[in-house]
Amino acid sequence: MPPIKIYKQDYIASPAGRVWKAFSHNPFALIGLWGVGFLLVLTLLAPFIAPYSVNEQNQQILLLPPSWDPLGHVEYFLGTDDLGRDIFSRILHGVQLTFGMSLIIVTCALFFGFIIGAISGMMRGLKSSILGHLLDGLLSIPSLLMAILVVAVIGPGLSNVFWAVGIAMVPQFIRTIHQAVHEELQKEYVTAAKLDGANDLQIFWYVIMPNIWEALIIQVTMAISAAILDIAALGFLNLGAQAPSPEWGAMIAQGLDNLLLAPWTVTIPGVAILFSVLAVNLVGDGLRSAIAPIRN
Amino acid sequence: MWRYFFRRVSLFLATTLIMMAVLFYTTHLFPVDEHYALSGVQQPTAEQIEQINNDFNLESNRFSQFLAYVQQRLSGNMGVSNNSQQQVYEELKTVLPASFELSLFSGFIALIFGVPIGVIAALSKNKLVQRSILGLTLTGYSIPVFWLGLSLSLWFGVNLGWLPISGQINLLYQIEPVSGFMLIDTLLSNSTYSQQAFIDALMHLILPAITLAVLPFTLIVRITRQAMLQVMNQTYIRAAEARGLHTLKIIIRHALPNAMIPVLKSIGIMLGSFASYGIVVEVIFSWPGVGSWLVSGIYQRDYTVIQAGILSVSLLIIFLSILIEFVHTAINPMSKKELYATY
Amino acid sequence: MTVFLKQRFHLMFVCLSGLLLSACSQATLPPGLVYCSEGNPESFNPQLVTSGTTIDATSHQLYSRLVNYNPDLGDIVPGLATDWQISEDGLSYTFNLRQNVLFHQTQRFKPQRVFNADDVLFSFNRIIDSQHPYHSVSRTGYPFFQSISFEQLISSIEKVNDYQVIFHLNREDASFLSNLATDFAVVLSAEYAEKLLKDGLPEQIDLQPIGTGPFQLTQYIKNEYIRYIRHPNYWGAKPDIEHLVFDITPKSTARIAKLITGDCSVSALPKAGELAVIDQHQHIKVDAKPGLNVAFWALNTQKPPLNDIRVRRALAHAIDKQNILDVVYNDIAVEASGILPPASWAYSKNLTSNEFNPAKAKLLLEQAGVKNLDIDIWAMPVARIYNPNALKTAELIQGDLAKVGVKINIVSYDWSVFTQKLASDDYDSVLIGWNADNSDPDNFFTPLLSCAALASNNNRSKWCQADFDHLLTQAQKTTVREERKAFYQAAEAILSDRVPLIPIAHAQKVILKKDTITSMQVRPYGGIAFAKIVQNPQESN
Repeated sequence: MPPIKIYKQDYIASPAGRVWKAFSHNPFALIGLWGVGFLLVLTLLAPFIAPYSVNEQNQQILLLPPSWDPLGHVEYFLGTDDLGRDIFSRILHGVQLTFGMSLIIVTCALFFGFIIGAISGMMRGLKSSILGHLLDGLLSIPSLLMAILVVAVIGPGLSNVFWAVGIAMVPQFIRTIHQAVHEELQKEYVTAAKLDGANDLQIFWYVIMPNIWEALIIQVTMAISAAILDIAALGFLNLGAQAPSPEWGAMIAQGLDNLLLAPWTVTIPGVAILFSVLAVNLVGDGLRSAIAPIRN
Repeated sequence: MWRYFFRRVSLFLATTLIMMAVLFYTTHLFPVDEHYALSGVQQPTAEQIEQINNDFNLESNRFSQFLAYVQQRLSGNMGVSNNSQQQVYEELKTVLPASFELSLFSGFIALIFGVPIGVIAALSKNKLVQRSILGLTLTGYSIPVFWLGLSLSLWFGVNLGWLPISGQINLLYQIEPVSGFMLIDTLLSNSTYSQQAFIDALMHLILPAITLAVLPFTLIVRITRQAMLQVMNQTYIRAAEARGLHTLKIIIRHALPNAMIPVLKSIGIMLGSFASYGIVVEVIFSWPGVGSWLVSGIYQRDYTVIQAGILSVSLLIIFLSILIEFVHTAINPMSKKELYATY
Repeated sequence: MTVFLKQRFHLMFVCLSGLLLSACSQATLPPGLVYCSEGNPESFNPQLVTSGTTIDATSHQLYSRLVNYNPDLGDIVPGLATDWQISEDGLSYTFNLRQNVLFHQTQRFKPQRVFNADDVLFSFNRIIDSQHPYHSVSRTGYPFFQSISFEQLISSIEKVNDYQVIFHLNREDASFLSNLATDFAVVLSAEYAEKLLKDGLPEQIDLQPIGTGPFQLTQYIKNEYIRYIRHPNYWGAKPDIEHLVFDITPKSTARIAKLITGDCSVSALPKAGELAVIDQHQHIKVDAKPGLNVAFWALNTQKPPLNDIRVRRALAHAIDKQNILDVVYNDIAVEASGILPPASWAYSKNLTSNEFNPAKAKLLLEQAGVKNLDIDIWAMPVARIYNPNALKTAELIQGDLAKVGVKINIVSYDWSVFTQKLASDDYDSVLIGWNADNSDPDNFFTPLLSCAALASNNNRSKWCQADFDHLLTQAQKTTVREERKAFYQAAEAILSDRVPLIPIAHAQKVILKKDTITSMQVRPYGGIAFAKIVQNPQESN
């Protein structure tokens, strides 16, 4: 039995609650959230849902159009590629590679970025300035160049995508956290905590951390969408995932041979990439506009 | 101001050095002989080895090796390309202008379309217009560039046959490179076909430029919109309105110049991803620029080309982003107060 | 700001009007022809290579041969030699040379004399005489000539006078004239070679070519283009086209797109499926002829486990060739039962070929006692006439062999790296093929599978069998076609039995061209020739 309200009281939601309220009032953001949730489910369950295995070739039906085409076949929902592999199953398996991998990369980059960013942010003077500005410079090196460098050293493959995109992403996190921490450090409440005798660790963990979450979350969503695009671009350039792999970018590269004859082998993986990036970006955008009024 | 200027210059130098150090380090990680990785000569003769040892100080310690490396690379000794047997420096001189041409043209497209649309999105009271512009930009921002390029070339190149989708110009036109910019060179050329060549070059430029323009376009629209929304709420705009100035005049004379400042800053931040996109676009449209050169370099394991390409592109980006930041500070009195703020 | 904006609008207006202008006006192109080729030539001297890309770019454009093939009848017609006599014993060939043939004239080299016997001597002595100053100028060797034992065949070349030379042979060889008519046996300029030697730049002879062909090289930019201009003093019929450009476009889709949008007029090596797209475009014509070529899977017979004949037989039974034909060739090829294509006169259906039979393959593997077989396949990254898509072929083979429990790893490199590594590395097996250079059936056997070919790295199976070589020598000695045919049939039977390679298909030679090209010959063998192309003045769109 809930407690009986005797007094009229205003219920004040927690900051997270307010963000959620603003967020859920934005239909686009909700659509994006559903999309991301859907992708997460697929990442876990794709191998069980997919009707065929990744590299199962059926030579009777090559380059079958998607099922809505008069020539298509409903058993091969999105058609087949030039080796008779079911594109639908490959897309499903590809979720793990393209979307799942972007999550892993961002998590790792976040971990290292957080540590370095927090340390450099808490530091003062020349050391901090050196770290911060040098990272500014390194930040401007595109992830593709980084990937090319990594490929030159260890050769193409899915594992170097991890390194290439990850290495290119760490400076972004460092910078975001560095700046956020820096901004908070100048504020009065931090000074107050300092006067109370809190040491640096305490200040960082109990005082600053709760206030930089939002910046971090926004950065994470941006990083995920960037990571998906980078993974796919590397696959497309044949520098990342290699031929029979169902990574979406690599699937587009494999479909290139049949671009003129069977455009769906290129279009469908492209739509899959577009969908996931769009979903993540919608969530990011929604979060940003939900957080903005609260922060100001 | 001067102090700030010197700080930026020293930052540029420091970042350059770090970049060189990263390259120097990875050069030694390449799975080939050190001499080959540095010079591009696959089977150097004894004299060549001597020469390389001399140039790169290979017999002394790592640090002086690094200094020699920096000195050699910055003075233009990039080695030879193992694949084409040409001086890498000479190749770089022909591919860089082509990339500039493409990126300047698409940057131009992005600006002339992005700014007005951003202004419209900010000023429009119509929810539908706002929503559709925002939806458009978000889609443009999320679209994988290689897929967009392929779709455009499939439609306009193959199915409709309107626009060429590969290369810089029909190769029957023989254009002497003067500036390296194909559009300018065709006009400078004194062949009888100069004008047709110009048109042909322009046609070849359209699709890649539009594909590459999508990313900066969407960003410019979004940031112009945000900035305009902020600026239009400022008191000086209301003052101008109160004086009875024409809305268009207010926008062009008072609001836009101020709204452009954050746009400038965002261009600086965007450079890195713009370059990534540029590389992919060059590969799709076989544009003979530094991006496709670099990618074919990696396919062919042409280690000198890889080093030179990465070095030149990243130095350019570092230089441009610091330059933009500097200009941003110089024209924006608001950010000057940050200059002397203590950290 | 306003001034700036005004300028900007002005600029925008100029650009837009430029666009409109371009859409409305029909631009005429300079006279010439653009050919979309598939790759970079390795050198500009066809003596040094076997790759079709290099042959296309050099042989019939830059050079002439002593004798030529008539592609219509398959007989040998005069080239730089106007006529020739063969001695009774078949051991000496006397050639009378054409007079007043001029070499190309470039900025760096102005020929002082016309073509004569010295040039012939230089061109062939360079190959056969290991003491010749030019013999080892290029490190690649002379793979075609080595594979047919040219050095051992010729005892000497004698200059009778400026316009007569005699080739003295060590043994009879029925395919000798045919071999002289191949794309490889071109004639270089001795005078140019002398000058280069004096300048200390001998390697330039293969990079800055001088020949007597219908076109001369003006510019080559790797990965981009090769430009030629008509040789004003060509000895034969003057070519119709003035400028010839090879637009180097490795991607097949891009070649087709360029053909559609008018950036090139002729294009090579379409992927099979793309022909359906071509049909939708009225202004593009497809020329197809049965080609003299074979695609095969060469097994390295010197490396375990493929040195075991039972394993090789098992692999031959495990591959579904019909499936490869459907998927990769899309009806522009016939299944190969042996390495001789049906278009060759020595062909007759090979009854001993290894049929597709996975059960038998499994059994053979069991007998050989190998388990968990793991084989690398090297697949070419580029389209060749005989195999438009080797990577796809490899993936199909991968699928077929998975069914008999063999694991296949596909290995591929960029084309130039691939050919280099193929010569030096220890591969398991490679998907490659052979495009004949002449109509002589010997061209399929000796250059590919003889012991001599092993030395020149052309023998991709690294296979050397005395009885097989003996058969080939015997076949060369006789000139009676029926006898030779019998010898080659016996050779085919040996191949089917010992399986140094698994033949896959004989593809048609397909060339795509715009309908402005009114006359163009597709030759069933060898490289492409542009000298006789006629085209209507073209308009770009």
